Amino acid sequence: MSIRDCALQSEAFAALKDVYDHRDREAARWRAAGRKVIGELGCDVPDELILAAGMLPVRICADPERPLAETDKYLEYAFDPMVRAQFEKIVDGTYYDQIDALAISNSTDVIIRVFLYLREIHRVEPEKKVPPVAFIDWLFTRHRIHQVRDEFIIGLFKQQVEAWAGRPITDEEIRAAGRICNENRQALREMARLRRGQEVRISGSEALVIIGAGLFMDRSEHTKLVRRVTADAAQWPVLAGPRVYYTGANQEDTVLYDKIEAAGMVVVGEDTDWGDRHYDRDYNLDYPVIRGIVDRYFLREFSAKKSTPAQRTEALDREVDAAGAQGVIFYTNQYDEVATWDMPKQRKSLEARGIRHITFGRMLWPVAKNEDLDEKLAGFAAQLKGGVR
Amino acid sequence: MAEEKKAPASRSAVVKKLKATKTVSVYQKEWFFAMKDRVEKEKCDFAILNADVPMEIFRAMDIPFVVNQWWAAICGAKRMTKKYFGLMQANGYRPDLNSYDAQALAESFDPDDHKVDADGNPMGPWGGLPKPTICITRLTGDAQNKIFGLLAENYGADLYTIENTQARITPLNWYELAADRWEELYDTDRIDLAVEELKELIRWLEMKTGKLFDMNKLQEVMDLINEQEGWYKKLRDLIAQCHPVPVTVVDTINAVMQAQWQRGTRWAADHAKSLYEEVKALADKGEAAVPNEKLRMMWLGRGMWQDFAFYQRFEEKYGAVFMWSMYLAMGADAYIRNNVEKDPLRALAARFIGMEDFLHMPPWNSSWFIQQAKQNDIDGVVYMIPENDMQAVEGSYFIKKVMEDAGFPLLAFHADPVNPKKWNAETMTGLVEDFIENRVIPNKEKKQQK
Repeated sequence: MSIRDCALQSEAFAALKDVYDHRDREAARWRAAGRKVIGELGCDVPDELILAAGMLPVRICADPERPLAETDKYLEYAFDPMVRAQFEKIVDGTYYDQIDALAISNSTDVIIRVFLYLREIHRVEPEKKVPPVAFIDWLFTRHRIHQVRDEFIIGLFKQQVEAWAGRPITDEEIRAAGRICNENRQALREMARLRRGQEVRISGSEALVIIGAGLFMDRSEHTKLVRRVTADAAQWPVLAGPRVYYTGANQEDTVLYDKIEAAGMVVVGEDTDWGDRHYDRDYNLDYPVIRGIVDRYFLREFSAKKSTPAQRTEALDREVDAAGAQGVIFYTNQYDEVATWDMPKQRKSLEARGIRHITFGRMLWPVAKNEDLDEKLAGFAAQLKGGVR
Repeated sequence: MAEEKKAPASRSAVVKKLKATKTVSVYQKEWFFAMKDRVEKEKCDFAILNADVPMEIFRAMDIPFVVNQWWAAICGAKRMTKKYFGLMQANGYRPDLNSYDAQALAESFDPDDHKVDADGNPMGPWGGLPKPTICITRLTGDAQNKIFGLLAENYGADLYTIENTQARITPLNWYELAADRWEELYDTDRIDLAVEELKELIRWLEMKTGKLFDMNKLQEVMDLINEQEGWYKKLRDLIAQCHPVPVTVVDTINAVMQAQWQRGTRWAADHAKSLYEEVKALADKGEAAVPNEKLRMMWLGRGMWQDFAFYQRFEEKYGAVFMWSMYLAMGADAYIRNNVEKDPLRALAARFIGMEDFLHMPPWNSSWFIQQAKQNDIDGVVYMIPENDMQAVEGSYFIKKVMEDAGFPLLAFHADPVNPKKWNAETMTGLVEDFIENRVIPNKEKKQQK
C-alpha cells in the first residue's frame, strides 16, 4: 500500500480519501438538498458552466467488480474496457438514480460512440432508465475556424445547462465559476510541486487521491482541503526511489500506482485526466466568458486521443522534463490503444535523451487481472536504480 | 483462428461474364501507371487521401492522388499484407490495429518498395506508390491523426486534416433527403463549417501546389459524379426488382468500388453507364446469376477482399445469393447532389459530411439497411463487424435489433477484411450454413405461409 500513514494521519487527506473512496456520497447529499448533479463522461466537459448554474459536476467512473450484463448487449468488444464498465452503470440504472443529466464530451472516439448509442437507446428503448444526455461536439484541431466553431458549440451547451438549471446563467456567474476552478487548479499545482523537485513528499497514489476527490465534490471545499493537505505534506518524509513519469490509460483508482510504488519507484507526474492533465491551463478571466472556456479546453496540453504522434512526442518530452523523471512507464489497456501509435517515436526521443522506459501494452482491465505486472515493474525499478543504460 | 483453407471455387457463371468488372480492373492499373509516370516526370505534387476526404477538390484542381483505402485493397490483392505486418512490427507499431487504414503507412517503411526482384518483378505493389507530398485525412476516428501524421512524416509530406462533426438532427429517411433536400438532412451549422473547411483546404492547396481552383471545373466534376451515381441508382433499382438477380455482389462490389475512386471523370460516368447497360441486357434476357435462386442475401460491412469466393459458397447448396452490398447502394443513395450549380461547394460539403454517418452512425445506418432490405426482398443478412477499428464500430446491437424486429434474420460475426490470418473460411462457411438452415429458411417459410 503506497498511501502512507503520514498521509492518512492528515485530517484533510483523510477527508479527500473518504470522498475518493465513496464517490456517490457527495452527489447524494447534493441531490437530497434539492440541488442538481451532472455526470460528466469525457474529460472536456466545462465544469465552469455547470458550477455557474449552481450544479455539481461529477465524473462518471467504472466499477471494476460489476458484471457487464447490459454492456455486453449494447457495446462491441473493441471498446475501451474501462469505458465499457462506465457504460454499464449508465445503462443499468445506477446513474439514473444518482445524476440529473449526463454531459458527454467529444474527447475520444469511444466516447462519441457511447453518446450515439445512448441517444439511440433513448429512441428505440425509451423505457430504459438512462439519464438525459447532452453531447459537446468539441473540435481540437488548432485552426481558427475550429476555435470559432467551438465557441458556437459551447454556446449550445450553455443553453443546455440553462435548460437543466431552469434559469439563465449570467456572465458573472460563469466568471465566478471560472475563478473557483482556477483557484482549484492553482491549489493542485501547488500540491504537485511536492511531487517533484529536489524533495518529493507526495507519492503518485496520494496525488491521485487528492486530484481525484475533486471530481466528486464541491470544488471550493476541495480547494480548501488540497491547500491543507499541501501544508501538511510539507512535513511528510521525503520519498526515495527512481522517479518515473506515467503515460497512457486513465487510472480511476490507485491500484497500478500502488504496484509501481511497491516496486520502489516514485510517480512524479502523468498525462492522464485523472492526474496532472486535469488542472492544466486556467480559464482566462479577461476573455468573453465563452471564449475563455474554449481557450481553456481547446489549448491545454495535447491529449493522446486528439493529436498527432509528433505533437504527443513533444508533449511527453516537455512533461517528463518538467517532472524531472528518470524513467517513463507506458501503459495501455487492450482496446484503448490509440496512444500506441505515438509510442515508437516517443520512445526514440526518450532514448536520445537518456531516459529509460518500459511499455505495458494490451493490458487487461482492471489492473489486478495482469499477473506478471509486479515482476516487470520490479525489473524496471532495478534497471533505474542500477543506472545501467 | 487457423490459417485459411481453400473452400470450393466459385460456381457463379455470370461473374466471369461481366465486362465492366474486368474493364475497371484493367483501367485502374493503366490509370495508376499513367498517374505515377506523370508524377515522376513532372515532379508534381501527389496526394494520399483518406476515403472520406472530398477528392472532388483534387479532381477539379488536377492534383494527382490515390485514396488510402483503395490502395489498401490493391496491397491486399498483391498479397502484401504479411510483409506489411512484419514491417509495422519491426518499426515498433502494432500491426493489428486499423490494419485496413494502415497499409500505405506500412508500405512507407518498405525499403524495397520501388525495387525489383532478381526476376525483374516489382517488389512493391504495382511498383510502389509515388512519393506523396500531401497527406490528407478527416478526423473521423482517433487513429486518423496518427496514421496520416506518421505517413506524412515518413514521406516528408505535408499533413492536412479536416475535422468531423456529429449530427444533432438525424432524420431517419436520409436516403430520401440526400439528393435534393440536404439542407433538411443536416444541421445548418454543420454544412456551414464544412463549406469553410473546403475553402480553407482550397486555399491551402493553392498555396502548396501553385494551382488555381476553378469553381466551374468543380461543377463539371460534380455533374459527372451525379451522372455516374445516377447509373448506380438505376442499377441498384434494377437488381432489386429482378427475381432472380442477374448479378451478385462479387461483380457489383468490384465494378462499383473501384470506379468510385475515379468519380468525377468522364471515364467513371461512362463506365457506370456501361455497367448498367450490361446488367440490363442480362436482366432482359432473364439470365440468373444463380439459376436456382431461392434466398436473397444482404452483406453488411466492408468487402471480404481476401476471400471473394466466400460470397458464392452458398449458391449451389442453398440457392442463396449475396445480391446486396453497401458499395452499389451507397452510390445509389448517398452521393447524388442535385442543383449543384446553385453552390457547388455547399453541395460538396453536403456530400462529404454525411458519408461516415450514413454507414457508421445509428440510426442512419440501421434505418437505411431496413429500407434497402425491403426494397431488395432480402431473406437474410450477414454482417461482418471489423476487428480493432473503432471507426467502423457502428452500433451492431441496434442494427441487429432493428433488422430482426423488421423480420430480417441477421448473422453477425467479427473479422478483419484484409488479414487472412484472422479468417477461417471453413468456420465461417459453417457459421453461414447454420444460419441459413436454422434462421433464414425457416423464416422465409414462415413468411410464405402467412
